[in-house]
Amino acid sequence: MFSALGEPGRLRIVELLRRRPHAVGEIVERLGMRQPQVSKHLKVLAQAGLVRVQPRARHRIYHLEATAFEEMRDWVDSFEELWETRLDSLGRYLVEQEEEEKEP
Amino acid sequence: MMALLKKKNKEIVLERSYAAPVETVWKAWTEADRLSKWWGPEKTKVTDCEVDLRIGGRLYVVTEATEEMGKYAGTRWPMEGTFTRIEPTSGLTYDARSWQEGDEEGTMIHHTNDVTLTSEGDKTHVRLHVTITQIGPKAKLAAFGMKWGYKSQLDALEEVLAS
Repeated sequence: MFSALGEPGRLRIVELLRRRPHAVGEIVERLGMRQPQVSKHLKVLAQAGLVRVQPRARHRIYHLEATAFEEMRDWVDSFEELWETRLDSLGRYLVEQEEEEKEP
Repeated sequence: MMALLKKKNKEIVLERSYAAPVETVWKAWTEADRLSKWWGPEKTKVTDCEVDLRIGGRLYVVTEATEEMGKYAGTRWPMEGTFTRIEPTSGLTYDARSWQEGDEEGTMIHHTNDVTLTSEGDKTHVRLHVTITQIGPKAKLAAFGMKWGYKSQLDALEEVLAS
């Protein structure tokens, strides 16, 4: 089911950036990954709009793109909305039932 | 990303009060011909509905998008559950899987639904507790994608995480 995370390296980077922004060098150091590998992952994550880069002095600082993650939460909320809608629908159905029973 | 969700099950608790006796609400939840009349959200229709009301029995409902849903017309979202608790007129529990037909793996949502009915005179209080335990990478579609707008970005995310 969590096959979407077939690339664990990228997930580890995302988890790290959740805490705070990091420079590429820091990511390499903290995750014990090779620099070209980290750069490749960051490039893919940036293309997907999940991270953005901010150059600072000689460093490139990577941040999580908050909106992408908010949207992720939104779709979980949509499951809740579905149920809200469904319970409204149950209410309408019950009112119809009552009305049908009242009719002679 | 999925792991962030995995760490903490998504819990949904909804409560409603209906102006109908508890027996009527119980029937609406447990009789297939009644369930199929309210289960599908707007712009959908319920094409299949089976309720085998016993422990271990199957609850199977297929909701299909109508023409009004435009390009999603004809898309089918089955929900298949197994009853684990049945207490006539006061509550029931079922473990279920919901998905979009054609992409079962990608859109699968595993959830446990706990329905509690409390009689309040001629009214009935309904408490619904849904615990989402697993969510497939494209599960937003199984939730009828009520916010289609963010679809493309999430698709991009899925491609990235899956590649």
